Amino acid sequence: MEMRSGDEAAFRQVYEQVFPVIMKVAFHVTYNLDVSEDICQDAFVRFFDKNMVFETLDDAKFWLIRVTKNLAINQIKRKARETASLEKLKQVTPTSSYKDGASELLFQESTESVRKAVAQLPEKYKTVIVLKEYAGLDYQQISKVLSISESNVKVRVHRARKELEAILRREDS
Amino acid sequence: MCLDDQILNTYLDGELAEPFKSQVEEHLGYCNACRERYQKLQNLKKTIDDAVLSDEDIASRQENVMKMIENTCFKRKKIPFFKRQLRINLPAFATVAAAFVFVFVGSIVYINKESNAFIPANVDNPIDESNVNLVNEKSQKTIDDYSLEEIINSLDKRGYTVDLKLKSVEPVKFEE
Ligand SMILES: [Zn+2]
Repeated sequence: MEMRSGDEAAFRQVYEQVFPVIMKVAFHVTYNLDVSEDICQDAFVRFFDKNMVFETLDDAKFWLIRVTKNLAINQIKRKARETASLEKLKQVTPTSSYKDGASELLFQESTESVRKAVAQLPEKYKTVIVLKEYAGLDYQQISKVLSISESNVKVRVHRARKELEAILRREDS
Repeated sequence: MCLDDQILNTYLDGELAEPFKSQVEEHLGYCNACRERYQKLQNLKKTIDDAVLSDEDIASRQENVMKMIENTCFKRKKIPFFKRQLRINLPAFATVAAAFVFVFVGSIVYINKESNAFIPANVDNPIDESNVNLVNEKSQKTIDDYSLEEIINSLDKRGYTVDLKLKSVEPVKFEE
């Protein structure tokens, strides 16, 4: 069913279904609710103003996810630059008392520590894991949104989980 | 040969194609080490999933943004000309740079699209962008496509009384 993004009725339909998805994307990249709200607003205003034609609702959804992802990544980059000078002064001591988790790992992590771990991931792993776990996309859909191959998605999902496991294990000890 | 994390993760995501899927299942059926590792990866995925932003947090933000969009995007397209406040520059005779101009037109004409006859509007007629057109125009332009000056001139030519009212935030001071 073809739809036009500047049409109010069509817009409302997409908004209802897609807002929760892009809010999750924005949030799990920035981990800031207010910033995420602004990003979603920005994405939907662009969506409406551009008055684009989409073949399917999924196409509209992927467009919105891509824009949101880019806005969120730009935001954290900007923030990183802003705090970079401060960080230099502070000279954070690396607390990597890595313990080989040979013992039972039950992964009863708090929400907080998981979010901190996701925030620490390199960008290419972070976006893939956010789209996989929080936007609920499959490998093929992620490859569409990010314009990378499906096998690349597969590898990044795996590496992202490996990193997350290591970060969470480090925190446990 | 045992299964590596990559293949287990792909299987976990339901993305492993046949015949590998059946092979993995068969292996998990008899190999305790791989089954344990698989369960760990399942737990890890669940842990990550559980940290998702809550529905309540989303709902309030979803409302906020929709309100904002209703007040800007939707209105921008919908407000008919006659209800709009226009911001124009009046440097020639006012000291304030911008003021609101309210336009009052004694009566409004619109074109009956079929007969092309001019019919004075009465109160009962719905006036919106689709049926209000400038008398002079044959194209599909709507009234929003014309500048205030064009509209006033056109109405004036046809003998309609046009009343312009200026309203500014500060009192308008005219130069001596
Ligand atoms: Zn095995």
